[in-house]
Amino acid sequence: MNESGQWKPKIIAFLCNWCSYAGADLAGTSRIQYPPNIRVVRVPCSGRIDPFFILASLQNGLDGVLVSGCHPGECHYLSGNYSARRKFALLKGLLEYVGVEEGRVQFSWVSASEGVRFAKVIEEVTSHIKTLGPAKILVKNIPGGSFDVSAHP
Amino acid sequence: MNSENVKLLNKERLDDFLKVLFRDCIVFGPTRKGNMLLFDRIESIDDIVLGRGNTMNSVKDALFPQKENLFNYRHGDEGTEIQKPSAEEKGMVLFGVRPCDAQGLLLLDKVFGGGQKDPYYIDKRSKVAIIGIACENPDPACFCLALGGGPCSTKGSDLLLIDIGDKYLVKAGTPKGIAFFEEKVFEDADDEALAKASLVEKKAEESMNRAALGEAGIGEALEKRLEKLFDDPIWGEVTESCLGCGVCTYLCPTCHCFDILDETVKSTGERIRIWDSCQFPLFTRQASGFNPRPSSKERFRQRIMHKFCYLPKNENLPGCVGCGRCVTKCPVNLDIREVIKKISLREAT
Amino acid sequence: MSQLIHEIKEAARDFLRDGEDRTVIGFEQGSLPLQSRPCFIRKENDLERLVWNGFCKNNLAGYLPKRKGKIAIVVKGCDSRALVELIKENQITRDQLVIIGVACNGMIDRNKIEADMDGESIVDVEEGEDVLTIKGTNSSKVFDRKEYLYDHCKVCTNPVPVIHDILLGQRDSNTPQAPVNDTFSDLEDFSALDGKERWKYFTEEMNKCIRCYACRNACPMCYCPECFVDASRPQWVGKSTDLSDTMIFHLMRAFHLAGRCVGCGACEQACPMGVDIRKLNRRLQKDVMDLFHYKAGCNLEEKTPLATFRTDDSDSFMVEP
Repeated sequence: MNESGQWKPKIIAFLCNWCSYAGADLAGTSRIQYPPNIRVVRVPCSGRIDPFFILASLQNGLDGVLVSGCHPGECHYLSGNYSARRKFALLKGLLEYVGVEEGRVQFSWVSASEGVRFAKVIEEVTSHIKTLGPAKILVKNIPGGSFDVSAHP
Repeated sequence: MNSENVKLLNKERLDDFLKVLFRDCIVFGPTRKGNMLLFDRIESIDDIVLGRGNTMNSVKDALFPQKENLFNYRHGDEGTEIQKPSAEEKGMVLFGVRPCDAQGLLLLDKVFGGGQKDPYYIDKRSKVAIIGIACENPDPACFCLALGGGPCSTKGSDLLLIDIGDKYLVKAGTPKGIAFFEEKVFEDADDEALAKASLVEKKAEESMNRAALGEAGIGEALEKRLEKLFDDPIWGEVTESCLGCGVCTYLCPTCHCFDILDETVKSTGERIRIWDSCQFPLFTRQASGFNPRPSSKERFRQRIMHKFCYLPKNENLPGCVGCGRCVTKCPVNLDIREVIKKISLREAT
Repeated sequence: MSQLIHEIKEAARDFLRDGEDRTVIGFEQGSLPLQSRPCFIRKENDLERLVWNGFCKNNLAGYLPKRKGKIAIVVKGCDSRALVELIKENQITRDQLVIIGVACNGMIDRNKIEADMDGESIVDVEEGEDVLTIKGTNSSKVFDRKEYLYDHCKVCTNPVPVIHDILLGQRDSNTPQAPVNDTFSDLEDFSALDGKERWKYFTEEMNKCIRCYACRNACPMCYCPECFVDASRPQWVGKSTDLSDTMIFHLMRAFHLAGRCVGCGACEQACPMGVDIRKLNRRLQKDVMDLFHYKAGCNLEEKTPLATFRTDDSDSFMVEP
């Protein structure tokens, strides 16, 4: 919740260092505008992503999760994104089955030269999550606690 | 029998009695959830289910919940602020409690109300009334008789209802129970009713399976034998199929181990107490990584020693009430009665 | 049935006679009606304890990980598939085992029987080919066997063991048989529900969970020396019965079993609270089949799907702006 009291989504973006993070950086240096709602976490490879990262994000009240890696065949570590692709396919299906709204958890391939594409992915993911509203499913509510990160100084 | 302690309650007036309880107190009792009979908070009289065996979970849940808020805290620049939970104003009634579960509370009273008093337990316990219901048809797994209890025992109950047909014979086990007799729903008991109740008790006790436990039973002889057999290979034999889960401990009316955790988000959070189990691998794992009870063999042995040797020695009460839940719900049917029997027959090597 | 038990005992006897320090893992009579239980036999004299009936529900493969020495194990169809996966994961070697496979006609769900006993305790049971005669405290009741099987038995695709050294018994033609290529028809109605209703269902189920870990411990594929629930640095999932934590425990356990779960139902059988655990596993079994054309436990050569990949795996679930 920002000062005006209107909800703005908070999305965590796990970006692989060699492709997607560089792509995001290129979008920045090219001054391409995209929604400011993502919080980036740099990882060496999309294959590093443990499903727990995604679940912990949801538990902590984040409204969306994006994981982005190198295009298949271009992984810096050769096959990390292939392993990741299988995990993500299953995890996405499982989360949606349980009732997590479709589109809260998303995966993409963005390469280091794709600054424009990165901005488009963020645009699409953010606008979709805006329509979903604040996350409620799987959020852990600790009485007396506050998960509203934006309220913290 | 002193007529002060015994009254009759016509079954048609049970609902009137329950209405009184609901009016003044929070009520816990047996209720159906799906296929399961559970002991849980009851919102309406119609949700109470009687005459269907014993509940899956024991009544300890009401006084020693599986997850309990101890306090909330906030870390600030000036230090940490603590906020205790607000005490429940209303009294509590545990209704439809089987004699074994009521007896289990007596052990919990020693643990949580003995030398070191647990304020959370004590606060609830001081406001609770236990209204038990006798067992006319004990389950094949029940063995309360061997632990000093019985299908019609009043131990631990303020009131005990014994079904004698169209009425209940109501025995008061404590002054708190006698105080209930002020309610107009109760009538005086006559000799015929007392005789009927005796018959119910006799029939119930005779129907119980005594062979499973063996002749030696439970007592000082077992305590001594358990001490002698601590290093005996019998423990490896009887625990080979044990999965090491926590079902026996969680459903047990007397098991009381717990863990305390802080769950924090940024600078606020709550300290909670949750059930723990001696059957879990982490229970005795030390900071170095060494675990003095590395497998289910040592952990199961610990459970038996605690229930039938250490607790009787330290608290003068057995740590088991013979409810039989661990017997019926163990996924591999590891029967505590058979283990006791084997131990009692085993010569020390 | 008695002929079958005799054959099992003979097979076990031959095994014990064939060498020293050998263990037979099978089933023996339980201490209560409708219960059989795992037993470990090392001496010929003890072989008479072995039984075979509609209550031999446990998956004995769970006792194998990292076990030493020569072992004969009695397995049903589902258990044998768990064996295949365990061998692939190097938890036990094939040559340690003499697999006594028994064709299974489904195991009886004690909870279903008890629910229909009108509150009477069960005193005794007589198991026939098609019916069970249950003696209660006051009366006798007859139950149609196939109506009281476990849910997972009703959708079983492989009642006859897929791996064995000896194969005994026969699948009774009267017991309805699901097709070997799982249609997952049991998921159709549930999947058609709105996401909110599915979440409501899981909320109700997971609120029953008491975090006893019977499901995990009974599962043959859960053999990690340290389970993720016991990790504290970092703590992946809270230990209390908080709904969010409980949900994450079950989600992640199901996810760790993706491509490895054989649907034996040991989890549901062990659960004291009747939680519908398999709902999650079934969905993953279906997705693993649809996406990777893999069914766990059929084939010693096929690699577990999450331990491998194909360059042409589908991208259709990904964001494509």
